[in-house]
Amino acid sequence: MSKKETTAPVVHKKPLGLRLHEYRGFYLMFLPVFIFVLIIYYWPMLGVRYSFYSYKLRDIHFIGLGNFVKLFGEKEFWSSFKNTLVISIVKLLLNTFVAVLIAIFLNEMRSLLAKKFVQTVIYLPHFMSYAVVAAIFTLFLSTSSTGFVNETLKSMGIIKESIDFLHSKTLWRPIFYLINLWKETGWGTVIFFATLSGINTELYEAGDIDGATRLQKIRYITLPALSNTIIVVLILNLAKVLNIFEPVFVLYNSRVLEVSDVISTYIYRKTFLTAIPDYGYTTAVGLFKSLVGCILMIGSDIASKKIRGRGII
Amino acid sequence: MGRKRKITLFDIINYIVFAILSLIIIIPIWKVVVDSFNAVGVYKFQLWPSDPTLAGYQTIIHTAKLARPFINSVVTTIVGTLIGLIMATLGGYVLCQNDMPGRSIFSYYLLFTMIFSGGMIPEYLVMKQLGLVDNMWILVVKHGMNVYNLVLMKNFFEGIPISLYEAAELDGCSPMKIFTSVVLPLSKAALASVGLMFAVTIWNDYSTVQIYITNPTQVNFQYQLRVMIMDGDTPTTAYKVSQNTLYYASIVCAILPFMVAYPFLQKYFVTGVNAGAVKE
Repeated sequence: MSKKETTAPVVHKKPLGLRLHEYRGFYLMFLPVFIFVLIIYYWPMLGVRYSFYSYKLRDIHFIGLGNFVKLFGEKEFWSSFKNTLVISIVKLLLNTFVAVLIAIFLNEMRSLLAKKFVQTVIYLPHFMSYAVVAAIFTLFLSTSSTGFVNETLKSMGIIKESIDFLHSKTLWRPIFYLINLWKETGWGTVIFFATLSGINTELYEAGDIDGATRLQKIRYITLPALSNTIIVVLILNLAKVLNIFEPVFVLYNSRVLEVSDVISTYIYRKTFLTAIPDYGYTTAVGLFKSLVGCILMIGSDIASKKIRGRGII
Repeated sequence: MGRKRKITLFDIINYIVFAILSLIIIIPIWKVVVDSFNAVGVYKFQLWPSDPTLAGYQTIIHTAKLARPFINSVVTTIVGTLIGLIMATLGGYVLCQNDMPGRSIFSYYLLFTMIFSGGMIPEYLVMKQLGLVDNMWILVVKHGMNVYNLVLMKNFFEGIPISLYEAAELDGCSPMKIFTSVVLPLSKAALASVGLMFAVTIWNDYSTVQIYITNPTQVNFQYQLRVMIMDGDTPTTAYKVSQNTLYYASIVCAILPFMVAYPFLQKYFVTGVNAGAVKE
């Protein structure tokens, strides 16, 4: 895991008893962390057993694989599964693509002051919560007389009638992607800037001598240097595609469920918006999600080890 | 640098594109701020409020339904950040001790939680048993322990030159003494960035409150804001204030702490990400 470990001499070990004694203070240091993790991460893992139970109010009884049979036959679940993949992956690809473009062209900016200014501005929305961003854009996109977007478009004569953007099945996803672009793309460039600052300037000078144009230098020097980072970013995020919850939850509504319901919101609705929820069933949905997520995570880890020689976990 | 300094067409287009991009980010934020001071709701983008008022902010301060969640947010963020930092520092430092028996077991113990989780419902049932449903301290419990941030701290600690540890050891410092008088003072920047990450997460958390809390005295500001704007649950107030003004003023309050701190602390925000992602 660490460089120190690999370079440490092999024959350094003192006897175990001595080391235990020497490090006794550290075990005490780790104790709070150990207990905290035990309670908030490991204890809930025991609850996974409810996947095999029917759990309504106080009535808990074993039903074997019943929940999974029900789950796989549920159309609503498969729709949410499909939406999760589509929404997460499109969002990931779109945000990464635009972030790379911004990073490359901002890197070409001659004035350092202007570059710093743009960076400061585009990082800003990342520090606003999803709840806030959703609130802002819901107000802007509203059909009321103070709706920024609709009224502006009307006054410019582009549209005649107000459009209910967030309640339209065809427009919800594009709007969702745009709002997410606004919020996260700027922050997504941070990691690419880190890579760009590591490119040897001699490469560009060599390009100048060979008479390369700006665009040629971008194509043959900058882009190849970024390619590894791009792959890493994609892999890291691919492992988490099923986890999407808050970004969707703050923007979706009952009228666009068909195109917006993801696994986590499905679990939420089935548990907290149902009169008598079956905790067993929703735990089973969660377990299915965790297992697929687990496979994705391990797959990404292997891919990452292949590509950059170090895992993600 | 040997690059030519001539302004080309490419440069001009580049400047224009980034000017537009910056405006796309700034205009919505600017409009929110201006409209929070505007007595009447207008759809137009204004550079300055046409009918200035402070009623929106006064309403928030004097309406318990809004002021209380704001205080809850402040308290949970401060406490959660402190606990989070303590956990990340303790755990991170222990994981640095390569000779410590059992160290790798501890690290697998932590890393496993990043691969597999019980899921939303088992977590909810556990928190219910712990009495954390309808209790704002759920925010501290949920975010106080963050394995990712712990690993970040560990990476920072490993960046401290080994010679410093050795010098302290030669001076007869115990491992604990090294921690408190060598490692911690050198990690101020790291503590700042990791602390900021905790603070942003806790302050901005909305979904935890949505899942766990229904009692209006326990909710945080993000939740209250959302309920007010999306569900139209506007609190009745003694103030004459237009709905729009109140909405936008609330949004400003929700983003204010980090918007104010951000320009000064930007480098700490950014180092946190880079240390975690591109440690090669």
